[in-house]
Parts: sequence; C-alpha cells; structure tokens
Amino acid sequence: MRSSRGTALTAAALCVAVALICFVSARSFLAMRLPDPVAPAQGFERYNLSHWFPALKGSPGDSDVYIQDSGVPGGTVFIMGGTHPNEPSGYMAAVVYLERAKVTKGRLIVMPFANATAMGHNSPQEASPQYFSLDVDGGTRWFRYGSRATNPVYQWPAPDIYIHAQSGQKLDGGSKSNLNRAYPGVPDDSLTQQVAYGIIQLLNKEKVDLAFDLHEASPEYPVVNAIVAHNRAMELAAMVSMELEMAGIPMRLEPSPVNFRGLSHREWGDHSDALAILMETGNPSQGRLRGKTDAALAVTGKDKAYLKAAALGRLFIPYEGDQTLDLRTARHVTSMKMFMDMLGDVKEGGDVEVEGIPSFDDMMERGIGAFLSPVEDDRFDGK
Amino acid sequence: MEWFWPEGFYTLLMIGVFAFAAFVWDMPIAVAMAMAAITGAIAAGEGVPLRHQVEGEFGYVDTILIIATAMVFMKVIQRTGLLESIAAWVIRKFRGYPVLLSLGIMFIIMVPGMITGSSTAAVLTTGALVAPVMMELGVPMLQTAAAISMGALFGMIAPPISIPAMIIGAGVDIPYVGFGMPLLICTVPLAVICSLWLIYPYVRKPRDEASLEAQLAKMSRVPMSLRLFLTVIVLVVLLGGERTLPLYWPSLGMPLSFLLASASGLLSGVRWNPIETVTEAIDEALPVMGILMGVGMFIQIMTLTGVRGFVVVSALALPSWTLYLGIAISMPLFGAVSSFGSASVLGVPFLMALLGQNEIVVASALSLVASLGDLMPPTALAGIFAAQVVGEKNYFKVLRHCMLPALLTVCWGIAVILMAKPIAKLIF
Ligand SMILES: [Zn+2]
Repeated sequence: MRSSRGTALTAAALCVAVALICFVSARSFLAMRLPDPVAPAQGFERYNLSHWFPALKGSPGDSDVYIQDSGVPGGTVFIMGGTHPNEPSGYMAAVVYLERAKVTKGRLIVMPFANATAMGHNSPQEASPQYFSLDVDGGTRWFRYGSRATNPVYQWPAPDIYIHAQSGQKLDGGSKSNLNRAYPGVPDDSLTQQVAYGIIQLLNKEKVDLAFDLHEASPEYPVVNAIVAHNRAMELAAMVSMELEMAGIPMRLEPSPVNFRGLSHREWGDHSDALAILMETGNPSQGRLRGKTDAALAVTGKDKAYLKAAALGRLFIPYEGDQTLDLRTARHVTSMKMFMDMLGDVKEGGDVEVEGIPSFDDMMERGIGAFLSPVEDDRFDGK
Repeated sequence: MEWFWPEGFYTLLMIGVFAFAAFVWDMPIAVAMAMAAITGAIAAGEGVPLRHQVEGEFGYVDTILIIATAMVFMKVIQRTGLLESIAAWVIRKFRGYPVLLSLGIMFIIMVPGMITGSSTAAVLTTGALVAPVMMELGVPMLQTAAAISMGALFGMIAPPISIPAMIIGAGVDIPYVGFGMPLLICTVPLAVICSLWLIYPYVRKPRDEASLEAQLAKMSRVPMSLRLFLTVIVLVVLLGGERTLPLYWPSLGMPLSFLLASASGLLSGVRWNPIETVTEAIDEALPVMGILMGVGMFIQIMTLTGVRGFVVVSALALPSWTLYLGIAISMPLFGAVSSFGSASVLGVPFLMALLGQNEIVVASALSLVASLGDLMPPTALAGIFAAQVVGEKNYFKVLRHCMLPALLTVCWGIAVILMAKPIAKLIF
C-alpha cells in the first residue's frame, strides 16, 4: 500500500468534500422522519400512545392511535401495524382499516405505525427503498419503507447482549431495538421497551378483546403466510384458519412458542385479557435471498433470485415470480375481518361489526390503492 | 446465462475494479472498495447513490469505535511499560512448564474474545500482552501473530458471548440459550491443537540463560505494582461487570469502557504523553477503519444491485453434498466483508438449508466457519491487528501462517455440522 501524506490544501479540500456529502445525505435521512399522512375514516378520533403511558409524551416513540366507537355495546378490537416498518403489508392493512372502516358495533382501535422511529430510517447495508408509492383515485400516495429496529439515534449503543427483563432470556444486543422482543416492556428503560410497555397499558385500559400485530416474513422463513396465536386464542384462530382455507387464502396456524419470550403473540396474551394474534405474509423485499432491492420490489415482490430459490425448494410460500403488496395486504385485511366476524362466537358480548372493508377479490382486482383516500402530502411537492 | 446476467456480471465487475485499484493502481484498500462500489452502482443504472454509500458505512459505526478505542488502550498499556513487565514475570514463573505455558497463553488470548465477542478486542488487549512473552520465549514473530489471530477467533466464538452465533440464531428466531456446550465443542479442541502446534515447539527449546536474564531485566524495568495494573483492572471491572451483573450494571458499551480504562493509565505513576499516544493509536487504526467504511459501502451496493442475492442463491443452489463445500468456501470468503456480515448474509440461509439437524449445534458450527472471515483480506481484522501487535508491516505474511490452522478450523466446523445429531444427543 502506498502511503501518501497530503498537504494542508488536500486536507482542506477533503474537509469541504466531507461537509458537502454530510449535508446532502443528511437532508435525505432527515426527510424520512416526516410522518406519512393518513386520512382516517369518519368516526375515528386521534390519540397518542402517551394517553395510556404519559412518560412517552413528547418522545419520538409517541405513536398515533385512532379509536372509532360505534356507540353500540360490543367488544374492542386492536389492529397494530408497523412493528417492523420493513414489512409494509402490516401497516398498509392497518391503514386500509383506518381509512375505510365504519364500525357499527363495538370499538375499533388502529395503531398503524407502532414503532414510530423505526419508520424514519433504514437499516444499514439492507439498501431498502426509503419510500414506495401507490396510485389512488385522484393522485399518488407515498409511504415510507423503514427499518426493523428503533432508530439508533434514540436508542444507542446496543448492549452486547439483550436480556429480556422479565425472563432473563438472552438475545443478540441488536434485538433490544426490536419492538417484538420487548413485551411486556419496562417503563423506565430504553425507548423500545417503553413503547412496548405503553402498548400493554393500552390493551389493559381499553379492555381489548382481540389484538392483531401485523407482520411480514421473508419467503424462506418457516413461519410465513401464517397466523401465530396465543394459546387462549387458538380456538378462534383454528376456526379462522379453516375458513381461510375454504376461501382459498391458506394461512398456516402456529401456536405461540412457550419458551420464546418478548413477542407480542405471547406477552400480550399473558399480560392482558386480549386474544393475541400475530400474522405474517411473505415479503421478498425483506428476505436474505432477494436480488435487486428497490421500491418496485416492495410493491410487486417480483424477483428472479426468489424465483430460483423457489425452484430449489427453499421457500415456504408458493412463489410464481411475484408476491404483490396488494396480495399481502389483502391477506391481512381479509383474515382480520374473519376473526372479527367470529369473535362473538368465542367471547360473549365481544361482537365487533365493521363495514366498508374491501373484499379479498376487490383488492386483488383493483389494487389496495383503490381503497385509500387522496391526501395532502407536502413531502413530495413537485415530485 | 439468464441467471448470470446481469448480476453475475456486476459481481465480476465490482471484484475486478477492486482488485485492479488495489493491486495495480496501488490505491489504499478503503478507496479501492469505494471505487468498486461506485462502479457497480453506475453499471446497474443507479448513478452515484450518495445516500446508499453513506448508509452502508454506518453499518460499522460501532465496530469502528471499538477498534479506535481498543487501539488507544493497547498503546497506553504499551507506554506505561505494563506489557513488558507482565511478560517478564510470566516467563520467569512458567518457563519450566512448556505445555502449561502454551495452553495458558492460548487461553489468555481467548478470554477478551470470550467475554466481548470481538476478535479485535482479544488481539489488542491480551494478544498485545502475550506477544512480547511469546517472542522472548523464542516463538518467531509470524508464528506469534498467527497464534494470536487464531486464539482471537476461537475466543470470539467460544462462550459465553459469541456474536456470530447470536446473529445466526436471531435470523431463525432461536434465543441464545444452550449454545455453551456446542460452542466449546467447536473451539476447545482447535485451541488446544493450535497452541501445541504454533507455540509449544518453540517454548520447549532451551535458551541461553544469561542473555535471556539480561533481556528480562530490561523488560521489567518498570516495577510491577497495583498502580501499574490499574488500566487492566478498570477494564476488567467495566467489561466484566456488564457481563456478570447485566441487570444492575450500566451498559457503557465497549468503546467507553476502553477509553475510561485508558484514562486510568494517567494514574499509573508512569509518565506518558496522552496526546501523542492517542494520535499514534488513531493513526494506526485509521486504515482499518477506512476499510470497514469501504466495505460497508460495498455491501450496500451489492444488496442494491442484486449481487448479494446472486451470491447467496448461487451458494444455496449447490447440490447437497457440495452444500458443505459451499459453506466451507463461501462463508470465509464472504468474511472478507466481515465475519458478522458472513454470519448474517450466508449463515442464516445455510442454517435454513440444514433445518432438521440440531439447529443450535449447526448454528454454532456455522459461526465457527464464519469467524474465519476475520482472516480474509482485505478486512482480515484479526490478521491485521495481530501483525501490528508483533510489529510486522505486511499482514499477508501472518495470514500465510494461519492458512493450515484455518483449514483445520473449516474441517472441524463441517465435521461438527455432519455430527450435529449425535452431538446433540450427547449434550442435551
Ligand atoms: Zn416482523
């Protein structure tokens, strides 16, 4: 290696270049912290997570929560997307409910972007797109594609090992920033642990009967196109799984593993009265086998590396060249609707009725954009 | 051909530009990596994606901080004379017991890696401590560096903390529980063999007593005292505290722990110039930090352009018996980028391809194979720092002496995977 010592001039020139690179890239990074505008359907009232856990007030983790109360006595359903903002069908399904639901019995609570700070950055070396767009009636809607982890700006450095506070279970240090390893949460620990704590408070104070945590998984991961249910929710989940099978939208049913702690489907069920359900659809844009990574991959799921992997028998979803966001979102939306329709059968007085939710076929035919409303979005002026 | 084009072409292009810039144009490795990344992005029609380049670099912020601060720590214990004093004491005490001495040295090298999960930490702390001992005892410089590199790798994989095993486990949702025995099975036999192979043959040879005694007297000119040991004590307390009492001890992180330990060297009673020491440390760590940033950029562009998927799926496409060959070759090779990267990018898919064996044993063995990435140029963290610790300018010379032990490590890793079921029966 040649070692060439520079001069004061080369040093100054390098400093200017570095400052320029920092300025330009920082603008791009900071822009991602602006929230995605949404258009809640009539009847939704906006709250923040700090409503249930005041310590979060003013913190970057104080995510928006929307409640629609039909005024007719019934159960309460909680829909949460955005635990992992690199799994877009999860939060898109929550947004479809937020923008279309008309609750006629019971109450519906929607928290579309659960880990708010994870929405605002990307994981290094994943080359994720920052945004993707969908065509809606009268315009284009932009959504961020975030990271699996809480933004390290608010929770750094990671410990060398993450010890789950209630069980002593050890995980790699990075998992401390994973909201779905943090439940039931700790009120005076890092941001992720506080957000988890806040969500448990919400579930309890609002007496939630049925709670969804919406995810995606890579197609090569064994738990994909799956419903993971807490043992109290197994009966209901089994009914729904059968119904989905008959409707031609198979979702494998998995019991919540008893020895793996910190996950929503286990701790929500153990620390509240809710029937806890986690659902996974197959998302090529987060997988380790994916090829070219961009916004198109997030929306279409078209990928030649996955096609080859499918031919090799490495995948746990049927894959014929694509896996659209429409399909993945429709799976979540339709499955949740079936859960709600059957909730009254297993929980007396727990009925929740919701109208206005598009059918699976409607979403596949017209795309989920057809069921979103146009919004003012000043992030993309002139773009 | 349909599979190869264009990602296979991008792969060759990026590797080609890197090799050309580094070896023909004689560019620093870091710059060559960045040039390869930019060329790949342009070829794939992404232009010069500034955001991706900067974001990729951030993947190594933590590693870079650890390297910089560990280097400061090493320079401080060198300057205070602690290193040489300890070396002289160990030699006087244990010279009569060569087997014990060889095994003991290997174990001492491994300890910081075992508790921090970082091979860099091992090389730059106890590796630096034992290097003068070994060389004074007659182990040639390059063998010394090779033994330190291998010990650091085994330490990184050995329990209680093995970050590659944790990364692979997290990728398939296995908590880091029950890994202790499998990781010991992966590392202990190799550590014993390497110490008897690289250290023992030299240590047992008799030496000219008079010249050795003169040398030892010179080395121990700073008398050993509790104050002199302060830096090491502070480091052990800070790092050890977090590991043993994780629920009560504040998580300072390794960089801050190294800095506080280094600062305590000011109270050691020996005069040393902090500014000069820190400048020298950063100056020596700078090329490696640069390489990591270049590598971060390179991985992000690989992911962006589909090269990463091409590499991973090509490895998975190997027929079943060559799958093991694929593991043996691709994981250390990809480790050129970083052993943690190899564990995450390749270790997880390989573990999924091997589901049905005992996952914990297989993940442990895969993490052992991934650790070899720390010997793979251009990053070769363990090799580079071991060369620096013994004062060898060209780290490739050190790597040459690591080749056979590394080969042995790969074979043992594959053997453990093949025997995963019986091993699991035995220990669980
Ligand atoms: Zn997820």
